[in-house]
Amino acid sequence: MENSVKRSPLVLVIVAFVVALMLYVGYHKARGAGFASHLTTSSIAPDFTLESLDGRSMRLSDLRGKAVLLNFWATWCGPCKIEMPWFVDFQKQYGSQGLQIVGVAMDDASKADIAKFAKDMGVNYPILIGKESVGDQYGGVPALPESFVISRDGKIIDKIIGLRGKAEIEESIKKALDTQPASSQASASTKVAPE
Amino acid sequence: MTADQMKTEILKTAGMKLHGFLALFIIFLTAASVSSAQTLGKAPTLTVAAVPLVTAQRTRQTMVSLNFRIPAGYHINSNTPKSEFLIPTALKMDLPTDIILGKIEYPAGEDASFPFSPDEKLSVYSGDFSIALGVHPLKSVVPGKYVMHGVLRYQACDNAACYPPKTLPVSFEVKVVREPAEHKANPAQSPHVHN
Repeated sequence: MENSVKRSPLVLVIVAFVVALMLYVGYHKARGAGFASHLTTSSIAPDFTLESLDGRSMRLSDLRGKAVLLNFWATWCGPCKIEMPWFVDFQKQYGSQGLQIVGVAMDDASKADIAKFAKDMGVNYPILIGKESVGDQYGGVPALPESFVISRDGKIIDKIIGLRGKAEIEESIKKALDTQPASSQASASTKVAPE
Repeated sequence: MTADQMKTEILKTAGMKLHGFLALFIIFLTAASVSSAQTLGKAPTLTVAAVPLVTAQRTRQTMVSLNFRIPAGYHINSNTPKSEFLIPTALKMDLPTDIILGKIEYPAGEDASFPFSPDEKLSVYSGDFSIALGVHPLKSVVPGKYVMHGVLRYQACDNAACYPPKTLPVSFEVKVVREPAEHKANPAQSPHVHN
């Protein structure tokens, strides 16, 4: 009895740390995967075709072979505004290595307003006019900004919910750039695989 | 009291203090973790307090106060945000025929900067805020109770993400009463004509 009383502070400390740890892990899991629960890293990025600001149709799967950062944003989203200059920098810096940033505007603003906003932000990558159905494919996109980093073979390798640090996003981009296109993988595996 | 008894007493007191400290520590950890988990990625829902029955005299404007609460950790734009792209908080009322909507008084926004935009001041509401509006029943309104309906449109953000605009239905009851009886002036009399 006396032992249990003496031990109880230690038990309380352990309980406190376990509870805090569980909540911390839960928090970070939610940050990474909470919204698009059906999409896991390594899922093939759902394909879609959307119209860009210049009136052209763009299909995501046409970008296979490139590393893609698919960024859902809106003109009314303050944190999105912070990220956009970073994306401009990334596109400049890594575009020649095969990075393609793609913005998907998820707001009700007119095309003209979206275009004005993008121009003011100096955006140097395509902006597509988002549709709810495309948002649904990516888990509903209930909070913005939300970005998906997609490997050269079309797989989601990172989901970035809310504003994260520039360096953290850059790390994800580098990982995507280090991936191989599906065709290279196939040929590589053909070479390696014994007959 | 013997030295042994004193020692036991001191140890007991120290043990109780330790228990108290640990209990506080657990509460703090749990509260901190839960609050950070709550503010992540979940679109907040504003609430509006029930409005007591409003008595409004015909032909006069009666001010009604609507009291809203924003969940902790979130903010919404004020009615006069500092950017054309931000969505202002706005109340839209749909009143019965012959009850005119008077002026709507929004509180001034609080100038605040956020981690996602440290150099920029945004005009926002957070916590509790009230909007006052005038209802003005015309003379043609039959005295009785009427329900006023409306919606508050708002767009919320936390420190790292923004959520699509939402609407919150609001309603309150107004009891329209007759205006006080006018003091009847003596009817105009035709001047006596003295021939």
